[in-house]
Amino acid sequence: MTERIQFRVRDFDCPTCASTVERVLRRADGVEHVAVHYTTGRVEIEYDPAVADPADFESAIESQGYTPQVT
Amino acid sequence: MTVREYYRKHRTAVVTATSGLLYAGGWSLGYATGYDTASALVLVFAAVIGGYDVAKHAYYELRSRTVGIKTLVTLAAVGAVAIGEYWEAAAVVFLFSLGGYLEGRTMRKTRTALQELLELTPATALVRRDGNDVEVPAREVDEGETVIVKPGAKIPVDGEVVAGESAVNQAPVTGESAPVHKTDGDDVFAGTVNREGALDVVATGTGSDTTLQRIIRRVEAAQEAQSPTEQFIDRFARYYTPAIVLLAVGAFVVTRDVLMALTLLVIGCPGALVIGPPVSVVSAIGNAARNGVLMKGGEHLERAGRIDLVAFDKTGTLTKGETTVASVQGFECDAEKTLRLAGIAEKKSEHHLADAILDAAREADVPESVATHGAPVVESARVPDPDDFEVLAGKGVVARYDGREIAVGNRALLDERDIAVPESVAASVREREEAGETAVHVVRDGTVIGVIALRDELRETAPRVVRALKDAGVRTVMLTGDNERTARAVAERVGIDDYRAELLPEDKQAAIEAFREEGSVVAMVGDGINDAPSLATADVGIAMGAAGTDTAIETADMALMADDLERIPDAVGLSKATRRNVLQNVGIAVLTVTVLLAGVLTSNVHLAGGMLVHEGSVLLVILNGMRLRRW
Repeated sequence: MTERIQFRVRDFDCPTCASTVERVLRRADGVEHVAVHYTTGRVEIEYDPAVADPADFESAIESQGYTPQVT
Repeated sequence: MTVREYYRKHRTAVVTATSGLLYAGGWSLGYATGYDTASALVLVFAAVIGGYDVAKHAYYELRSRTVGIKTLVTLAAVGAVAIGEYWEAAAVVFLFSLGGYLEGRTMRKTRTALQELLELTPATALVRRDGNDVEVPAREVDEGETVIVKPGAKIPVDGEVVAGESAVNQAPVTGESAPVHKTDGDDVFAGTVNREGALDVVATGTGSDTTLQRIIRRVEAAQEAQSPTEQFIDRFARYYTPAIVLLAVGAFVVTRDVLMALTLLVIGCPGALVIGPPVSVVSAIGNAARNGVLMKGGEHLERAGRIDLVAFDKTGTLTKGETTVASVQGFECDAEKTLRLAGIAEKKSEHHLADAILDAAREADVPESVATHGAPVVESARVPDPDDFEVLAGKGVVARYDGREIAVGNRALLDERDIAVPESVAASVREREEAGETAVHVVRDGTVIGVIALRDELRETAPRVVRALKDAGVRTVMLTGDNERTARAVAERVGIDDYRAELLPEDKQAAIEAFREEGSVVAMVGDGINDAPSLATADVGIAMGAAGTDTAIETADMALMADDLERIPDAVGLSKATRRNVLQNVGIAVLTVTVLLAGVLTSNVHLAGGMLVHEGSVLLVILNGMRLRRW
């Protein structure tokens, strides 16, 4: 089972910041696919709900100093 | 709003301003009193205030094993303090956070543009359930339910009008500024505005399954797709930063100049280079979307910027696609009889000319006495079925009725069947074709009995659009299945450069291929369904009237939501402007880096100056890119 969740981050201030967040999320448990887009601020995550908790994704983004919004 | 909330919301601004004031204060103190220690303290304080967030991010970067701009800036600021360059440290930090603040603000503007589109869809819908009108969240409306849309209200779902009549402003979906008249059987889109009368709409798409939502997803995907230029720059950037860090180390080893090494670190992020092109592309795609043109992505936009030939399918593109019988001329029998026989022969055909002939035959067949004035006509099965029927592709039809053979078709059909064409008939056909009409012969038992001329009105905008493209230096070509003479007449009237006539659908694809082989960058304009193969063959496939046809939205390189030809010169112009804009941004970035590197290595540029130019160039490319939002 794979589920999808999408966040929006409005405060990415450089393309590298977006790729840093992408790398951090990719390392989280149960994450199968991540795409972080600097231009639109969209964060897409596909994950295994048996392993991962979406709340962890939010805190992972916050731990990089950005504010995610669920859409 | 409490002070706390205000601070949270405007944190970056407050931090930047504080750091800036302290920096100015520290600098004036040193300048006015020469009291260095106090000045230094204030400056370090300024650096700490402004640099706290930067350092925090640098820590995150390092923790995830990346060396980014924030790590480099932190390193430079700490280094500057260590060697006693307090003024430089404070200035670097202040300029960096000021730049970051301004960049964040402008990028946020770009990011929220689409969000505004999303917010067009109302949150609730008035639905008729069990005879009562109840208000429910819009996404909970089921397909097939009837939604009541009051005058002045936004339409909450995609659907079909079943009752009422109104003018609807469809600008959010199609970019058309004039309201569109809607009545029974017409499709309406979620997010559009009902202006005058109440409408009952049966929902066909709700929630995330509406045209507007598809558009938004499409546009976002387009903005996220990297163009080849962006991909190249990204690859380059991956090596650039480590290379500059090595250069900094090298410079220090050779010159023992700490300030120079630190300055190199500051300019070690190819900011303008990586930010510029995406901002140009995103702004252009957003602009196009607001005007009812969906672009598939930066790559297609870049290609569209090089278009030098636009091929138009004639029917439904340059013309309205509503073929009607313009005139009927009888030779061996009267016009009415000719039309009636042609109607019978064409009854089973699916060709678009057949529909027009059949409609005309039905209309002509209603006797005066039963003609209904405005009231609905009861289906008149007065045009009988043929007994036998055969289609000859590209030529016409041959049918049997009442023991006689009726053939309807072009000259090729007659030639194939060795039917003699009297000079009077040939002259009539020639005359109709020279007027831009399509003439078909009606033959009964081997004798031509009449000629039916069909006309498909040109769109009024077509000549203007062709001229606009020519003015922009783009060659225009019309592709059509029509015969040579009709094609020439239409081409002349539109003012198009060139035309290809008597093309079968697969010939159109071959024609596009041929243009490409000549070295042209070809755009093909068509309807997205019948012309799908030609659109796919062209460098840039442009689908017309894509609102409502999901495949066109998903597949065309460029989709015009409305049937508005005039968007094409605009879209081509925007693409060209985008290409120029990307080049300008790359130019600005490369020039900046070159000047900075030269300046630093010759000891003419130090920390603060380097940072000022670096941040300035980033802002400059963002602002330059954002010009495309208003192009």
